[in-house]
Amino acid sequence: MSEQAEVRAVTVKRGFSIDAWAVLLAFVLAALVRAGVFKHIPW
Amino acid sequence: MASSVALPQVRPVNPALQFVKIIPGVLLLAAVGYAGKLLEANVGKYAKAHHWTFPNIEYVLWAILLGLAISNTVGVPEFFRAGVATYEFWLKAGIVLLGSRFLLGDVLKLGGTSLALVGIEITLAIAFMTFLGKLFGLKPKLTSLLAVGSAVCGVSAIIATQGAIDADEEDSSFAIAAILALGALSLFTFPLIGHALHLTDHAYGVWSGLAVDNTAEAAAAGALYSDAAGKLAVLTKTTRNALIGFVVLAYAIYWASKGQAQAVGNKAKFLWQKFPKFVLGFLLISILATAAFFSKEQIGALANLSRWAFLLTFAGVGLRTNFKALSKQGLKPFAVGAIGEVVIAAFTLGLVLAAQRIFGW
Repeated sequence: MSEQAEVRAVTVKRGFSIDAWAVLLAFVLAALVRAGVFKHIPW
Repeated sequence: MASSVALPQVRPVNPALQFVKIIPGVLLLAAVGYAGKLLEANVGKYAKAHHWTFPNIEYVLWAILLGLAISNTVGVPEFFRAGVATYEFWLKAGIVLLGSRFLLGDVLKLGGTSLALVGIEITLAIAFMTFLGKLFGLKPKLTSLLAVGSAVCGVSAIIATQGAIDADEEDSSFAIAAILALGALSLFTFPLIGHALHLTDHAYGVWSGLAVDNTAEAAAAGALYSDAAGKLAVLTKTTRNALIGFVVLAYAIYWASKGQAQAVGNKAKFLWQKFPKFVLGFLLISILATAAFFSKEQIGALANLSRWAFLLTFAGVGLRTNFKALSKQGLKPFAVGAIGEVVIAAFTLGLVLAAQRIFGW
């Protein structure tokens, strides 16, 4: 089953938690959109 | 394929190696998710061209079904598993980005209503699951884990509580398996019930956020109904997630008072440690959007980034669900979980219908 991997892979011993990394990524992306680096994201 | 649900393993991790290891699985998530999008766009066209009657199936369901098909037939090879496991990371990034689609006033208004409903749901869920656990003769700590899992937020809450009350890993595995199996079932039953009852997007979204336990499944169950329902399911589920620390703290104090868990020292620190930080990210992005920090086009771009992140999540929900492995986790915890979930779903549906009348959703 893959649940064990799901938890193991996102466990970081030191530094940021998965939540913190997710927030960081979201804010970096938001900053890039705000700065005009990504003008249009298709869907 | 392993047959049990393992718990977090803390071991030294080389960040560069870890990053390389997740790439294949992330690509698999993207491939399955994108295939879901392509199927949504093309199956309907193909059926129409051949004069077939075929329901319009959205990419969310296609992505989940493709993932389930892979996981339950050929299985997910070890090579991909670390990357597939990142589905929860994409979920949280997607939730933060989704904050751009909510004005702060809406968040406070909807969140306030949700908070009241969540408070009632948590109280009922904990009381009922505790009663059921005693009725079925489950071990008390396993009952606590099932109660937290069904009351607050699924796997994350169970893992947080397991550490706080010194529960056995086996108990956590049982509880996680039961919650995941029931979450998978909710993906198929909730939209059917919602359509049968002609629930509005608002009512259905709040119901999914209240009654579906794991955040990924709650987001998927909402999105399976409609985009608007998906937004509200995420907001309501995020409100539930925000309370995780309080519930885990209460259980930690309870078990410590019985001498069966370590006492909690600094309670404020404990609450901060258990608080899901992505909730703060969601609120911050919402504040920025409310303050017109982003233009309309930029908010559209952020919303689409959020959709892409959720697409990877939905693919992951299917890929990590293996029914054979889940079925090996024992019948009793599953039975307790299933009975509890049905009662909680029915009760929260009643709550939502009452709120719908009061607030005119």
